[in-house]
Amino acid sequence: MLPKINAALVEKVLVRFIRDEFGKCGCKKGILGLSGGLDSAVTAALAARALGPGNVLGLIMPYGKGFPEDVRDAGNLARRLGIRHKTIDIAAQVDIYFAAHPTRSRVQRGNKMARERMSILYDYSAREDAFILGTSNKTELLIGYGTIHGDMACAINPMGDLYKTQVRELAAHLRLPAAIRRKVPTAGLWPGQTDEGELGLTYEELDDILYGLVEGRRSRREMVEAGHRPAIVARILRMIKNSEFKRKLPPIAKLSPRSVGHDFLYPYDWGK
Amino acid sequence: MKIVLAQIVPRLGDVKANVELHLDVLEKARRRKAGLVVFPELGLTGYTLKDLVEEVALDPDSDPRFRKIVSRSKGLSVVVGFVEERPAEKGLFYNAAAFIADGRIVHVHRKVFLPTNGMFEEAKFFAQGRDFRTFEAPFGRAGLLICRDFLHYGASYVHYASGADMIVCISAAPGRGVEGGDAFETSRMWELMGEAVSYFSTAFVLYANRAGSEDGVTFAGGSFAFAPGGRLAARAAAIDPDLLFCRIDLSAVRDARRKWLFKRDEKPEVVWRSLERIVRASED
Repeated sequence: MLPKINAALVEKVLVRFIRDEFGKCGCKKGILGLSGGLDSAVTAALAARALGPGNVLGLIMPYGKGFPEDVRDAGNLARRLGIRHKTIDIAAQVDIYFAAHPTRSRVQRGNKMARERMSILYDYSAREDAFILGTSNKTELLIGYGTIHGDMACAINPMGDLYKTQVRELAAHLRLPAAIRRKVPTAGLWPGQTDEGELGLTYEELDDILYGLVEGRRSRREMVEAGHRPAIVARILRMIKNSEFKRKLPPIAKLSPRSVGHDFLYPYDWGK
Repeated sequence: MKIVLAQIVPRLGDVKANVELHLDVLEKARRRKAGLVVFPELGLTGYTLKDLVEEVALDPDSDPRFRKIVSRSKGLSVVVGFVEERPAEKGLFYNAAAFIADGRIVHVHRKVFLPTNGMFEEAKFFAQGRDFRTFEAPFGRAGLLICRDFLHYGASYVHYASGADMIVCISAAPGRGVEGGDAFETSRMWELMGEAVSYFSTAFVLYANRAGSEDGVTFAGGSFAFAPGGRLAARAAAIDPDLLFCRIDLSAVRDARRKWLFKRDEKPEVVWRSLERIVRASED
């Protein structure tokens, strides 16, 4: 079973991490996409504590008039945290592309939208001289439930080692609004999509299985013996393996005695 | 004697800045009449060095930056963590700890146990130390350990067997596990060992860990001092930087050894013969 976190300790570590990383780069401002969902709300709250609310900018980037409650919740959250926010409708740039290159794939459209939001975030990062805070949690990272070069793109990722259910614990500790905490998680790729509906299991069960596999280093057989459904365990293992590419930089073909990505090894914090 | 556990946040790869940081702490220690200042593992360089190791390596006998620290140790004892490269061993880089007293380097310990698993990759970049030796410090016999050395309890035993009144461990231990109390769960591991070693060695155990974060890893802080007999003398902040001043009574070693006769009754020759047999058997 996934143990409960000490949310106050986690808050302290993550706030310090954000402050440290920004401090090393001499960067005062942070920017992130605000979806109206839980993960971006928690990240925004941590960033506001670490950097001061006035130094955090939340971009709300809806596609047209879809998801009006999320847009409203995101705006309310920004006001509650005292952070700056701005709404940018991505419909025009998405529509013009798909008018020329039509598709019926909802996933393809959703991924394109995630990457449009990413490109806007990076542009605003340059305009504002602000670092992008990622909002991916450990559950998503492990099963690859994110768009590579889309919502996974960021400068630092404070919550990448917290499972989704632990993010909920942290959200309660941070006293985030109930409207956001009780919201059914969705990647927002299309209206009516929910994570748990698409995955076919609850986050509680998913996190328990991931915790057993990752921290517990249990085998598939041991997970089944512990009472988890064999088909589910097999599917989760497949998702983890199939998404390893999203958690790595692409392999570089090695030719020389010292190559980027192989044996040219420096810390991320190099020279900061 | 007043001691200082300097739970600092070194700048990664910036020896010059870290020397200044060390000198600043030494000045504060001197003003408050401390006798011993302990800095963390790789305090002069930062921890997550990887290929930077060769850029920050220095010879403690000739490097002007290091000599600055040595020269500011008049009337003081100082333990400093750095990357050592001697002219006689070019290209070999050691994760090292120097014991400096009164303007002189008394002893240098090279880390023996280099963690290289999971998040750790020290043996990829460092040469391995091969000895544990005690030395005569101004306040008694002492032995140095670096981080993971301390978790292999044979290392402390060697210091104990060779007469250490004080075991000083310098550390850059990352925190892991956030389910417990107000500190990382791994902090308990260090303190447990500190308590046990100080109890059964009837010696002082000082542990200086660092704070701050590098590449997403947060160092756990929680430096501590145990007096002989497992008595906690002081504990620094968890996670946050701290400059922990603490007074210790050096006569506690004698007191503890009159009460608990572990040291008098110790049989290193039996341990040695048994170990020799085990090592021989494993070599056959």
